[in-house]
Amino acid sequence: MIPATIEELGEALDNQAYYAADDLKVAIHLSLQLGRPLFLEGEAGVGKTEVAKALAAITGNQLIRLQCYEGLDVGHALYEWDYAMQMMEIRLLEARGEAERATARNIMSRDFLIARPLLQSIEAARDGQRPVLLIDELDRADEEFEAFLLELLSDFQVTIPEIGTVTAEQPPIVVLTSNRTREIHDALKRRCIYHWIDYPTPDLEATIVRRKVEGIDDEVADSLASAMERLRQIDLFKPPGVAETLDWAESLKLLGAGGLTPQGLEQTIGVVLKYKDDIDKVQELGAEAILS
Amino acid sequence: MNRGPALDLATFSQALRQRGLSVTPDQVADMGRAFRLIDPASRDQVRDALRSLSISDPAQRVPFEEEFYRFFEHLYPADGDPNQPSRLAHMSAVKPVVEQVDPGLADGVTRSQTGASTLETLQTRDFADLDADQAAEAKRIVMAMSWQPSDFRTRRWVTDSRGPSPDLRKTIQRTVRPDGDLIPIVRQSRRLRQRPLVMIADISGSMEKYADMFLVFAHTAQRRLDHVEAFTFSTELSRITDDLKRRDIQSALAGVNKTVHDWSGGTKIGEALAEWNRQWSRRLARGGPIAMILSDGWDTGDDGLLRTEMARLSRSVHRVLWLNPLAARSDFRPATRGMQAVLPHVDELLPAASVRDLRGVVRLLDELNRSSHRG
Repeated sequence: MIPATIEELGEALDNQAYYAADDLKVAIHLSLQLGRPLFLEGEAGVGKTEVAKALAAITGNQLIRLQCYEGLDVGHALYEWDYAMQMMEIRLLEARGEAERATARNIMSRDFLIARPLLQSIEAARDGQRPVLLIDELDRADEEFEAFLLELLSDFQVTIPEIGTVTAEQPPIVVLTSNRTREIHDALKRRCIYHWIDYPTPDLEATIVRRKVEGIDDEVADSLASAMERLRQIDLFKPPGVAETLDWAESLKLLGAGGLTPQGLEQTIGVVLKYKDDIDKVQELGAEAILS
Repeated sequence: MNRGPALDLATFSQALRQRGLSVTPDQVADMGRAFRLIDPASRDQVRDALRSLSISDPAQRVPFEEEFYRFFEHLYPADGDPNQPSRLAHMSAVKPVVEQVDPGLADGVTRSQTGASTLETLQTRDFADLDADQAAEAKRIVMAMSWQPSDFRTRRWVTDSRGPSPDLRKTIQRTVRPDGDLIPIVRQSRRLRQRPLVMIADISGSMEKYADMFLVFAHTAQRRLDHVEAFTFSTELSRITDDLKRRDIQSALAGVNKTVHDWSGGTKIGEALAEWNRQWSRRLARGGPIAMILSDGWDTGDDGLLRTEMARLSRSVHRVLWLNPLAARSDFRPATRGMQAVLPHVDELLPAASVRDLRGVVRLLDELNRSSHRG
């Protein structure tokens, strides 16, 4: 079921342990109600992908994920013929002496087609189902793929020359994410509800830690959240995301540390910062600057 | 308010468009529908809803919110752009040049009224020593230069009869045609794409004469190559790529003049590169770009920072070319602290003080291309 109001949506997200800021809830709500794709941008680790997972769980629909990469083409995104099976079918027809009567139709039927995520989502969007299609890290794909996607997202319809046209009965719920390693074309973004996910406020981040990391002390959660806020204010090459906060909390729990101490910070800094320059900078500033 | 919501939104989106947001009619229609989906009494919900339907870049959040509060709460009076005096006014002497040049003319000069001997000296004379007429002529020559795009292999395949690997999809498709048993194997190869070029120009006081010419050079590069990004800095980094995309050199330079606010300031190369590394390297470093930095290396910033950021830059790009106008002088030694800091991370240090120097830069790019891909 798709939540009817923003309040219901907020509750449903909470139940999935996804704690969204108010402006993100509005964007998700509009996307669901207007039937437009949701385009999420933000630094790595702020929970863009998690939105799609939570939506699939809330609406009780299947999550179909397309991970983008450079060179991603129609064969891997939409559909591909199963060449090995087609070859085998030809040989079998020959062996049975049926090759005479066989036509190209035999091996160019749906049975020999491998549906990739985009076709899967179109085929699954029927009988009242609205699958959640997650197109992850679109910035990794190249411009050619973007142009193709623009067309697909406008009518959710695919024409396979050998078979015919497949149309989605209702548009799937589409979530696109980008880490902004390059600009996505404006035309694509304008088809979507656009939202930039910021780092959470310390309060929200502490809530996330408390709810996601079992058995964590409330005080530890608060101190982690405020340490994170300070880390993000330092001029780092790669500021840590929420994913790092959660890893950090888990690490401290594993080490049996009662709280966030200068020693604990030193032991676990590699969980939070992944660039040597950033680690050097924090060590130079000293633990007190982060923990106070 | 006695105007209906539709009228309000039309006026509002008009205001957004004037702030540079391109709001489509579809989006305006969605805004109208959005009002029924949210609580219209909640200012924050209205703001968030309209924002998610009108921006497409985090940088647009500020102008959006300014317009929003101005429009719906009448809190802020309209503030116009501070009127910058046109520092590039003297560039208006440059006239647009005919795009295609006669290949027979070695120097790529079209209808030059200048005599041959003057032309010869123009080729080698330092930009700083040119008078206004000569500078205009030199710019004309720079604009007419031809560039050799530099290619690299992408991960995408294209059909190529001499390609290294078979394309199974196409091969099978052809096999099922009823024209015989022979299976013609369709081959494919990686598609070639132009290597991006990132140009970063020092526009501090000491570089004034050269920076003008470099902007013309960058504009020409933009017109000749597929992927050119351009930046300027003296005390802050400004991206001028979009300004240079305008075809006409005069309006391009007028755009640059509006974007850049730190002409002839001090030189903080380290800070500028740090800003580039943080804001742009991950967005622009795909496809292994060539970075071209124009600066005399007279740095007033921290040279430890310069060293670190230069090292980082050199790791994220394919090649670093450093253009230094002083390098043209016979007594040049890269002895300034700034140059000492950057040299270990520079692949090529090149002079850039005359037309001939710039031509050498273009030629070097071509050579880089050949050595890295045709072997």
